[in-house]
Amino acid sequence: MSDQTDPSTEQIPESRFDRGRLRREIHLEIRRLHRLSNRGLWGLALFILISLGAQQNLRFLPPLSEGARAVLGAAPPVKLISIALVVYSFSALILILSRMMGGSDTYRGWSHLGYLSGFYAFYYYAEVLPENFWAVFAAGITILTLEYYQIWTYCSEALRTEQELLSKLEE
Amino acid sequence: MKSIAAKAVVPVALAVTGFVVVCCILLYSFIKNDLLNSSIQREVNLAGIIVKSTRHAMLQADRESLRNIIDNIGEQNGVEHVRIFNETGLVMFSAAPEEVSQLVDKKAAGCIACHSTDIPATNLGPMEQSRWFTNQKNHNVLAITAPIYNEPGCSTADCHFHPPTLKVLGTLDIGLSAEPLRDSLVTLGWRMVVFCIMVLILTVGGVCALLRRNILLPITNLVAYANAATRGNTDQPPPGGIDEIELIGQSLHGLALRLEKKQAELEMLRSKSREGAAVHKPSISSTENPG
Repeated sequence: MSDQTDPSTEQIPESRFDRGRLRREIHLEIRRLHRLSNRGLWGLALFILISLGAQQNLRFLPPLSEGARAVLGAAPPVKLISIALVVYSFSALILILSRMMGGSDTYRGWSHLGYLSGFYAFYYYAEVLPENFWAVFAAGITILTLEYYQIWTYCSEALRTEQELLSKLEE
Repeated sequence: MKSIAAKAVVPVALAVTGFVVVCCILLYSFIKNDLLNSSIQREVNLAGIIVKSTRHAMLQADRESLRNIIDNIGEQNGVEHVRIFNETGLVMFSAAPEEVSQLVDKKAAGCIACHSTDIPATNLGPMEQSRWFTNQKNHNVLAITAPIYNEPGCSTADCHFHPPTLKVLGTLDIGLSAEPLRDSLVTLGWRMVVFCIMVLILTVGGVCALLRRNILLPITNLVAYANAATRGNTDQPPPGGIDEIELIGQSLHGLALRLEKKQAELEMLRSKSREGAAVHKPSISSTENPG
C-alpha cells in the first residue's frame, strides 16, 4: 500500500483549490449580474435616443415615395393603432409585474424596444406621429423603467447573496 | 431599497401611473379629434347656409345685397374672415374691404387641396375643406372653403352668363375663431393632469396605508414580541393582525415557553448537582484527612 497518503495533508490543498475556484466563480457571477443590471439602463437610453428621432417626426429618414406607399398599402386607422397601443401597454405591464412576482432573471426590454419602435413607425406611416408621440413615449418609459426596476431588484438581491458568500469565503 | 413599503409601492405606482398617463394622452387625442371634427362639420353647415342665403342675390346679380350679407356676417362675434372669390381667385366680396379685387394665391393653405393638380378638384370632404392656422392678429382660426357650384339657373339667367360647362363658379371662404375650442382643449388637458396626479396619490397612498395597517404594524409588533421573548418576558400574548403573523407569533410564543421550561429544568438540575456536591464534599475531605 505504498500509494496511501495521509488524508490530513491531502485535504488542505484541495480545499484551498476549491475556495479559489469558488471565489473566481463568484466574481464571474458578480460581473454577470452587474452586466445584467446595466442592460435595463442601456434599453432605456436606446429608447430615449429613438424617441428623440421620433420627436423630430423622423426627419432624418428620406420621405416615403409614392411607389413604396403603393406597395405597403393604406395605413391602418389611427384609432386602431391607439387601441393596439393601450392593449400592448396593459399586457406588457401585467407580464412584467408577474415576472417580478416570480423572481425571474430575464430581461425583455429589447423586444419592447422593437414593439415601441413599431408603434412609432405605424404612426409615422399614418402621418400622425407628432399628435401621438407622447402616448408612445409615456408607454415606453413606463414599460422600460419597470423592466429595469425588475432586473435591478433581482440583480441587487443576487449580488447581496454573492457578496455574503464571498465574505464568508474570505474569513 | 430594502423596505417592504418601497418594494411594494414603486412598481405598483409606476405601472398604474404610466398606464393612466398613456390612456389619458390617447383619450385627449380622441376627444381633440372628435371636437375638431364636430367644429369642422358645424362650419361646413354654416358655409352651406351662407351659400344658400346668398343664392337669390347671386341669381339676381344683386351685388349690393351680397356685399351687405357678407359685411353683416363678418361683423359677427367669432368670425375672423369671410370672402367670396371667383373661379380665377379674384376676391369679389369680403368683410375686409381691402381684400376686394385682390388675387388669392392658389398655392396657399386652403386652396392647394383643390389646386395641387393641373385640373382642380371640384369635390372635397369636410376635412380637406378645412384648415387651422394663426392669422395676422395672432388668433387661431379654423377656416372652411366651400365651392359655389354652377346651377341651371346660373347658366341660363338673363342678367349674367356662366357657361354650363363651368362646374365651380366661385368659392366661399369663412374663418371662425378657434380660441373657444383651444381653451376647451387646454382645460381638458389640465383636468386630465389633475386626474393623473389624483390617481398617483390614491394608488401610492392606498398601497402605503394597506401595507402599514396589514404588514408593517404587525411585523413591528412581532419584532417587539420576539425581543421581549429573548429577554425572557413571555407574559404578554403573541401579536395578532394577519394569519401568517399570528402563526409566527404563536410559534415564537411556544418556543419561548419551551425554552423557559428547559431553562427551569436545567436550573433545577444544576442546583441538585450543587447540593449533591455539597453533601459529598465533607465525606471526601474526611477520607482524605483520617486523623
